[in-house]
Amino acid sequence: MKIDELENLEYKPILERAEARIEEAVLFKSISTKSPKDDVEIPSFPIAVMLVAATADPRIKRTYALAEAKRVSNQLKEENKEVIAKIAENFNWKLKTIENSPSTPSCDFALHFTDFVRNAATIQDKKWKLINRILLNGEVYLTKNETSRLLEEEVRRYIEKKLETEVGELPPSITARVERLKQLFFQKRGKTSWEEVPKEIVIPAYPPCIKSLYGTLSSGRHLSHIGRFTLTTFLVNIGMTVESVIDLFRALSDFNERMTRYQVEHIAGGRGSRTKYIPPRCDTLRTHGVCPGMDDMCKTVRHPLGYYRRKMRVVRSEAPAAS
Amino acid sequence: MSVIEIETKAFVQEKFAGYYRASSSNIQPPTRMENREFAFLIFKERIMMRHKGFRNSENFRSLLKSVAPSDVYYSSAHYERPEEEMEAKGWLGADLVFDIDADHIPTPCNKQHDTWTCNKCGATGRGTPPERCPQCGEQRFEDKTWPCEVCLESAKEETIKLIDVLIRNFGVSSEEVKVAFSGHRGYHVHVESEVIQTLDQVARKEIVDYMVGVGLEPHLLGVEKGVGPNLDEAGWRGRIAKGTYDFLNTATPAQLGEIGLKKGVVNALVGQRERVLESWRDKGPWKILRGLGSEGWRKIVQKAVEKQSVKIDTVVTTDVHRLIRLTDTLHGKTGLKKTAVSLSDVERFDPMKDAVAFKEGAVRLAVSEAPEFTLGNQTFGPYKDLRVELPTAAALFLLCKGAAWVVEETVHV
Repeated sequence: MKIDELENLEYKPILERAEARIEEAVLFKSISTKSPKDDVEIPSFPIAVMLVAATADPRIKRTYALAEAKRVSNQLKEENKEVIAKIAENFNWKLKTIENSPSTPSCDFALHFTDFVRNAATIQDKKWKLINRILLNGEVYLTKNETSRLLEEEVRRYIEKKLETEVGELPPSITARVERLKQLFFQKRGKTSWEEVPKEIVIPAYPPCIKSLYGTLSSGRHLSHIGRFTLTTFLVNIGMTVESVIDLFRALSDFNERMTRYQVEHIAGGRGSRTKYIPPRCDTLRTHGVCPGMDDMCKTVRHPLGYYRRKMRVVRSEAPAAS
Repeated sequence: MSVIEIETKAFVQEKFAGYYRASSSNIQPPTRMENREFAFLIFKERIMMRHKGFRNSENFRSLLKSVAPSDVYYSSAHYERPEEEMEAKGWLGADLVFDIDADHIPTPCNKQHDTWTCNKCGATGRGTPPERCPQCGEQRFEDKTWPCEVCLESAKEETIKLIDVLIRNFGVSSEEVKVAFSGHRGYHVHVESEVIQTLDQVARKEIVDYMVGVGLEPHLLGVEKGVGPNLDEAGWRGRIAKGTYDFLNTATPAQLGEIGLKKGVVNALVGQRERVLESWRDKGPWKILRGLGSEGWRKIVQKAVEKQSVKIDTVVTTDVHRLIRLTDTLHGKTGLKKTAVSLSDVERFDPMKDAVAFKEGAVRLAVSEAPEFTLGNQTFGPYKDLRVELPTAAALFLLCKGAAWVVEETVHV
C-alpha cells in the first residue's frame, strides 16, 4: 500500500480504525477496543503510527505510545509464561524461565540486569529500583506480572522510536485528519507542555537544592560540575538572562569569563547543538549527592522545575495584594 | 610565572619526555582505538588538546614522544567519528567505568597531610578546608592534597568491595574486570563487556545507586517489624545484615547516640551485646531488643547501608562521554604512572612502590613544604624550606605537587 492510495475507498475502514486507536489514546490514555477483522486491526497499527508521527508533537507521541504499550501489557497478563518468554525473545532480552525456589519465592523469571535497568529505570515506584531487587550473578528475579510490566516499557520505547520517523508530504484528506487529531489533543490537554515554567524569578519558590547551590555559589565556595550544571539549567529555564547567570559565577576564585560564557550560552541553547538543557531530575540529584534533603513539597514532585511551578502558586497566593 | 617555576616545569616535562622515549613501546592503546577520542594535557600552556583520533599504535606512540604531555586520556565511549565535535561524534557505546578516589572516602587519617590556605588572609590549616576561615571568616581556600598510605589503603578496600559486587551480583566475569591504580589517590575499575556498552545514563545511574546505597527501601529488602535479613543472604539483604552486625558489635555508646538512638536503647544495646551477637545464629536481633522500635531500626539500617556501600565517584560512572587516563602513562600531579593491577594482586599491590616510573638518578631540590611520604623503599620528609637531594621519583613527586623547585640535576646515582 502506498501513502497516496490511503484515500482509496477500500482502505477506509483501516484508516478509520487507525484514527479510533489514536482518539481513544488521547481521550482515555488507553486503547480497549479492537476491530473484529484482523485484516483491518493489524494494518491499522502502522497507519496509526504514521498519523501520530505526522503530528510531530512529542506529547501526542508519548501519549499514544504509552496507550498502545499498556494495551499490550494488559493482554500479556492473561498469557502464560511461554508466550511472555517468546515476546521477550523478540526484543532480544536475556530472560530465563525459572522454577520456584526458597531463595526466590514466587518468581517466574530471571532477567539480565542490563535488560532490567533499561526498562525499569524510568518507572517511579521504589520496587523497580535495582538496589531493592534480588540481583545475583547478573540476574534480577521477577514474577510474571512484573515481567509483563517491563515488556510494556520495552514496547513503549519501541513505538516511540517508530514515531520518530519523519513523515513526508501527505494527501490533503490525510493531513486534515492529522490536524483534527491534534486539535482533539489540545482541547483535551491544553496547548502548553508540562515542561513550561513561569518565566519569573521568585527566590522563595526555589527548591531546597537550588537554594543550597545558590548559597554556595554566591559565597564563592566551590561547586561540583553537576552542581553548576543544575543551578545554571534551573536559572536559565526560569528566565534568568545569560548575563545574570554569568555574574553569579564571578564570585568563584577560578572564574573565567570566556569559559563560563561559553558554557552558560551552550546550556541556554545559544551555541552548538541549540538544545536547551533542563536540570537533572530529583533522583539523579540524589545519586550525585546534590539533594540536601527533601522538604514537604519535594515529596510531591520529581523535578526541581516541577517544584518551582507548584511552589509559585503557593507563594503567589500568600503574597499580599498590591494596592 | 616566575623564572624558577618555568624552569621547574621544563625540567619535569623533559623527564616525562624521557619516560615516553624509553617506554612508549610498552604503552598499549585502549581496545577499539580507532573509535576512541584521545586528549592530552599540554605542559606549557596547561591546555587540553582534545578530539584526537588514532588509527594505529605507532602514530599514537610517536605523538607521546614528540609532545610529552603532562597527562594522557582516552574516552570511555566509542564513536563513529571521534575527531568531530561532541554533537557530531556519533556515540556508539561506552565502557562501564568506576573511579574510586580518596577524595570521596572519609578516611581514618582525616587527611591531616592535606593543607589549605585562606584566599583572603593567608591563614593555613591541615585536613579538609573548613566551612569558614577561623581567622577572617572567608569561605574560599587553596588546597593541596597528598596521597598517603592510609588514604590509598581505604581506596583499595573500596576497590575490593566494588570488584566483589561486580562479580557476585552483576555477574561480570573476572576476565572482564580491569583494575588500575590511577597514579594519584585512587583506583579505576573498567568493565568492557559487550552487554553494558549501550546502557544510557539513566540505566547507569541505577548501577551507581546500587553501589552507593541510594534509594534503598528496607521494607523491600526484608526489614520489617520484628524481622530482618540474615548474614548469609545474597546482595543488599546480606549487606544490610552484615552492616548491622558490624555496627551493633563495634559502635561505642557515643556512636549509637550520634545516629539518634534514645539513651535507654543505647544502654540496652551495649548491655546486651553478647545476646545480640548470639542472636545472629538464629533469626538475628530484629525482635529481641525491647524499646527499639521501627524508627530506631531504620536509623541502624541506614548506618549499616552507609558502611556497606561502595564509595565511588558517582559522576564518572554515569557520564557516558568521560575521558579516562590511559594505563602506563604518567600522572601530571605525581609523576607516578597509572598501573594495571591483576585481580589476584590487588591485595598486595603497593601503589607507592609498584607505580614508580623513574628508577634512576637524583635531583637537588629546594622544598617549600611536604609531609612525610614513602616512595619505593624509602621514606622522605617531612620537609620545610629545605634543600635536599632526592632520587628522581621522589623529586618529581614533589615537583609535580608544586611543593619544590629544581636546584640542579645530579648525575651520580
